[in-house]
Amino acid sequence: MPLDLNFIMIQLLAGLSRAMVLFLLSAGLSLIFGVMNILNFAHATFWLLGGYITYTVFESLGGEGMGTLAAAIAITSVGMFVLGCIIERVLIRRMYHRELPEQLLLTFALVLILGDLIKLIWGTADRQIVLAIEPMEMLDTFVNPYYFVIIGIGVVAGLAMWGFFRFTRYGHIVRAAVYSRDMVNALGIPISWIYAGVFGLGIGFAGFAAGVCLPLMPVALGMDTDIIIQCFAVVVIGGFGSIAGTFIASIIVGTVYAFSILIWPDGALAMIYLIVIAVLVFRPWGLLGTELRT
Amino acid sequence: MTDGKYRMQWDKFVGSIDRRHFLVTSLAAGVATLTPRFAHAEAERFRLGLILSATGPGSNYCESAIQAVTYGVAELNKRGGLLGKYPIELIFRDEQSKPEAAAREARDLIDRQKVHAVIGTWSSASALAVQEIAYEQKVLHISACGNSSQLIAENYSPYTFLVTPNSQMESAAIAVTLAQMAKDKNWKRFVTIGQDYEWGRAQQKGFIEVFTQRTPGVELTKEFWFKLGETNFAPYIAAIMAAQPDFCFGAMSAKDSATFMLQAKANGMFRKVVYPGGLITVADMQQQTKTLERGLIGVTRAPFFALLNEPVMQRYIKLHQENNGPKTYPTDWACMHLDALYAIEQAAKKSGQIDSESLRKALTGATIDTCRGQAAFAECSNQLAIPAGFVGTITDTPDYPFPIYDLKTLVRVDAKEVERSCAELEAVRKKRA
Repeated sequence: MPLDLNFIMIQLLAGLSRAMVLFLLSAGLSLIFGVMNILNFAHATFWLLGGYITYTVFESLGGEGMGTLAAAIAITSVGMFVLGCIIERVLIRRMYHRELPEQLLLTFALVLILGDLIKLIWGTADRQIVLAIEPMEMLDTFVNPYYFVIIGIGVVAGLAMWGFFRFTRYGHIVRAAVYSRDMVNALGIPISWIYAGVFGLGIGFAGFAAGVCLPLMPVALGMDTDIIIQCFAVVVIGGFGSIAGTFIASIIVGTVYAFSILIWPDGALAMIYLIVIAVLVFRPWGLLGTELRT
Repeated sequence: MTDGKYRMQWDKFVGSIDRRHFLVTSLAAGVATLTPRFAHAEAERFRLGLILSATGPGSNYCESAIQAVTYGVAELNKRGGLLGKYPIELIFRDEQSKPEAAAREARDLIDRQKVHAVIGTWSSASALAVQEIAYEQKVLHISACGNSSQLIAENYSPYTFLVTPNSQMESAAIAVTLAQMAKDKNWKRFVTIGQDYEWGRAQQKGFIEVFTQRTPGVELTKEFWFKLGETNFAPYIAAIMAAQPDFCFGAMSAKDSATFMLQAKANGMFRKVVYPGGLITVADMQQQTKTLERGLIGVTRAPFFALLNEPVMQRYIKLHQENNGPKTYPTDWACMHLDALYAIEQAAKKSGQIDSESLRKALTGATIDTCRGQAAFAECSNQLAIPAGFVGTITDTPDYPFPIYDLKTLVRVDAKEVERSCAELEAVRKKRA
């Protein structure tokens, strides 16, 4: 097969777009685990719910154009943030001192409940937003211009999250809570509300990710259980709790997958899990994760 | 019916369910279930199991099939049921497009519900799983969608009948048409992309066998396989374009096919690579009215618009419109599942019995009326000799509110052109044994 530079660049672009989809999906999962020590198995199901809500809001706002999509994403993200805060207050807060299997059981129950809720409200049909975008000619071939949108959003979202935790007071408090909940509490900061906010932020981010992905791929019942495995792979490679690690891991997973399809299609998925195994064996806390947590 | 209309119907249905509606409907259903028991206390019922995908990658094809069997059963019951005296009790189970779910449901239908026959499934892998159970329990099984050629070759069972062309016939039909196209256009290289499961593999294998036999100079340069339910085809599409083939053969169907075609269109793949031969059915044409690429070459199994002269098809269209509205049309899946249902009726008439064994014997080698004309089941395989495929080019038409295959260039490949002989099937079975 002729493998010239143009095709390598196009494959890289496809890989990066896949990477950004994975990053947007995994960032919230990593954040929730990193700060709250809660392994949210239902994260991708919240993402799925966000997708269906975005679709409905988009259709009710007229169903056309990027502006309408942006408005639908904003409304959904805020709604999902509120939903996340409520779920944290009602359910998740009871799990902080429980063992991991109990956390998994609770969040798996959420997977089933939310899945049935989606089926009841939206039925079994897939939902996708089709924007009137023509393919763009570049490097002697065509590409979907929305790839650039999603890559741009991924990079901006990553930088925004990094900046938020690095430079804002709330971000500092959250980072402190990662290392010592008790010390943050002792300083008079209401840790319970911080946790509710973090969980809400993670779920809101899942809703945001779903909306951003809708013009690229449909949301469908059952996708969540498949996607959560890929999210775990990304977060394990990057390190739980590290946004930068999640970002780098997403790029590794997305591009390795894309180039494996080009070179060795049958082994594409296996390549990803080989990387996961290698990380688990040689650096179990992930590329940019930390072992320190009290 | 367009995608929007489907959604509107579904949303309307779901939106209409409130607590009061639910209670009233449940009560009515309970009364309706009990009434015939008292009214016909001694009447034996024919219990029919239907296993299709209400969820999963195949659900967009199965929705119309489930609905068709439901109104088909209602129509038969209006006439008193089978032989005019055995009302049909339809028991539906969701296969979820997963063989393990299909096997579990088939076992329950046969062991606990004591069904006389099973129609299903969407997935070929599921059909193979159900076939084993039906054979073990000696229950009639008719597949109108799942069409792995293994069902009639390596895994042949006298209890399983196919009213759909099997994957070998279907892929050969595409191969015959594309081989001619390859000669005309001087194609030299191609790639394939398919769903990585039983049907996708069988479809691709069957295509390559016939195509390379007819066009030895055309080289297969790459094979791409993706898992069932894939939603992001970006790397595959880029890799296909990088391979610079003359054409890409797609062995995919249902939701995966719809998603792939949408993303391929957005990536400009159809401007660089010819994509012929994918399973593009009436359901796809109706559901993707706005987005389906015009000019695509595809294959389907029982398109109503190419079979308007068939009396059975006319009856199905009438039945469909009575239940869905005047300007609606049945999908291939609806028609083939009605063929499966009415095959049982014809078998009951022939045998005068409704037990599974009598129906099986009556269907073996029988000639039945279908929406694709009169056709006979091969005694050695239970494959119905219906057309192997309808290969055509997607185009708009003023006659329907969705695109169809261009009737001027539509190619109908008949079973006798491509199906394997009984001797060939025997050889396959012996080889396997």
